[in-house]
Amino acid sequence: MSSREPEVKTDGLGRRRFLKTATAAGLSIALAPLHSAYAQADSGDSINIALVGLGAQGRVLMDAMLKIPGVRFVAICDIWPYARTYGQRYLKKNGFEVRAYESHKEMLEKEKDLQAVVVACPDFWHAPITNDCLRAGHHVYCEKMMSNTIEGARSMVQTMRETGKLLQIGHQRRSNPRYLVARNRLLGEARLLGRITAANAQWNRAVSADLGWPNHTAMPKELLEKYGYSDMHQFRNWRWFKKCGGGPLSDLGAHQIDILNWFLDVSPSTVIASGGRDYYSGHEWLDNAMVIYEYKLPEGTARAFYQVQTTTSAGGGYYEQFMGTEGTLRMSENPKYTQINREAAAPPWDQWISRHLLAAQKAPAKSDDDSSSGNDKVDARETAELAAYYLPVILSKLIHQPHLENFFNAVRGRGTLNCPADEAFKSEMAVFKAIEAVETRSLVTCKSSDFIA
Amino acid sequence: MSDSQIQTRDSGSMLALLLLRAWLGVRAVVTGLEKFSDTRTLQVPLLDAAGKPDSSGAVVEVTQKFYSLHSYHAIPDSMKEKFSQEPLLPAFMTAPYYAVLGWALIALGLAVLVGLWTRASLFLMGLLYVSLTFGLILIKQDGGVSWLAIHVALIAVALSLTKHNRFALTRS
Repeated sequence: MSSREPEVKTDGLGRRRFLKTATAAGLSIALAPLHSAYAQADSGDSINIALVGLGAQGRVLMDAMLKIPGVRFVAICDIWPYARTYGQRYLKKNGFEVRAYESHKEMLEKEKDLQAVVVACPDFWHAPITNDCLRAGHHVYCEKMMSNTIEGARSMVQTMRETGKLLQIGHQRRSNPRYLVARNRLLGEARLLGRITAANAQWNRAVSADLGWPNHTAMPKELLEKYGYSDMHQFRNWRWFKKCGGGPLSDLGAHQIDILNWFLDVSPSTVIASGGRDYYSGHEWLDNAMVIYEYKLPEGTARAFYQVQTTTSAGGGYYEQFMGTEGTLRMSENPKYTQINREAAAPPWDQWISRHLLAAQKAPAKSDDDSSSGNDKVDARETAELAAYYLPVILSKLIHQPHLENFFNAVRGRGTLNCPADEAFKSEMAVFKAIEAVETRSLVTCKSSDFIA
Repeated sequence: MSDSQIQTRDSGSMLALLLLRAWLGVRAVVTGLEKFSDTRTLQVPLLDAAGKPDSSGAVVEVTQKFYSLHSYHAIPDSMKEKFSQEPLLPAFMTAPYYAVLGWALIALGLAVLVGLWTRASLFLMGLLYVSLTFGLILIKQDGGVSWLAIHVALIAVALSLTKHNRFALTRS
């Protein structure tokens, strides 16, 4: 990585500078070759890649990529020598001798046979590193959030368009066959839910301690400051600091808010939210938040409630749930949280069952000493329990693998990206809008133009 | 009573017994066969409306029922667990019982269906249901006991009609 760049923030962009930038960007978009989601790798099926960022997420992606044929690691980059050593040793065990770099600029200068770069460093470095990699002629897979600033995210889309290179954003659910079937077949083809009137999603996590580090691996202050961190604690816990990341709404919420938008196929029209730094005293970002989006669907308004709690794991796991007049679909990356329910008055779902789009849950066996009459209702106005079904689609790969495969296939010219940066920008803007609603404590209205980078 | 009235009554009894043999035979044979059934999960490509693999490459798990000697299970494991805790059902008694239960149901059911030693077959079938009743009483499955009582009652009716037995391989 190179130093200092993230500090050149555009938050306080003046009107003149904004107009200048926007005009330049507009011109460059017009003059640039049309972004094509297709691209050809330089040769054959083998793709030389570098991995930037060997923290928790980088390691998850590394494991997934090691399972993809044709992916050849040639370099890694991380400012932390401890992470670089780990990465080199781990990849060596898996058959790759890689060169390790502290600075991504040095890596781009020296590595001449790279075709793609996978970026999994802290959010505030995403835009500068991704932009440099794209300009160096490489295709990029970048973890979400695209950036901790709207301008950073927008710059990535613009660079993608200018260079004509591929930029996939790591909203990995978009390539998960379980999600693809749920969206395209259950909601699209079968219109299983009828008219969708509401949605809710959540990711609740128990209280956890901040990340530490082995004492002997601590980086000197000058090195940390060179790359934008105050100290080792901030480096290890960057997600909680405003100059580095976006907090839980960005870290956890971005995935799920993306699903709300993608499944509803529209961006929100308004947002209200409440959240705060209620528990952790050493963090800058909120720890709990509740958000309500309003969506104008072709058939009417739908509202979606999103909550992220980092102080309790209660609430039944992490999922995205869509509720319609004829049924409810609860999706999760974890199949055990996925469920489909049919409203009693809905048309039969037999044809979808026979086509294996869904399957009936086995009813729980009743015990012999069950003396109840079978009617669990305590109020006559209560709706009877709905019939439950499950999604029989399985994913027998690591959850990030299909999205990476989609990226590498697009690099090989065999298909289109499932989440190119301009598409991801729409969802990430919805996250920025929620953060704005929390901070301003007001109803935030969204224009369709807000979601176009 | 005239001869024609007696004939009519006898033919009614004959038909009643035939029905009872059919029901009791099918009930026993299919129950026995089910003890050799199991399910397996297959992974198959999800197909689109045109019958081609879904564009997502999705694979679905499909449950398929099958029969095999290896799948034999006399009673559900949960029930076996309960029986194992009953002092009146020691393992040396239950083990051979489990081993023959499925085969016995199939053999007796077939015998009743085709009329092979109908009286003896019906009686043995009744005893089998009584033995099952004994176990169910111990584990307080009153619903199952009631079902078996209906079976035994039907067998008793069938036995009382055996003098009208027709369409049978053997006369007794």
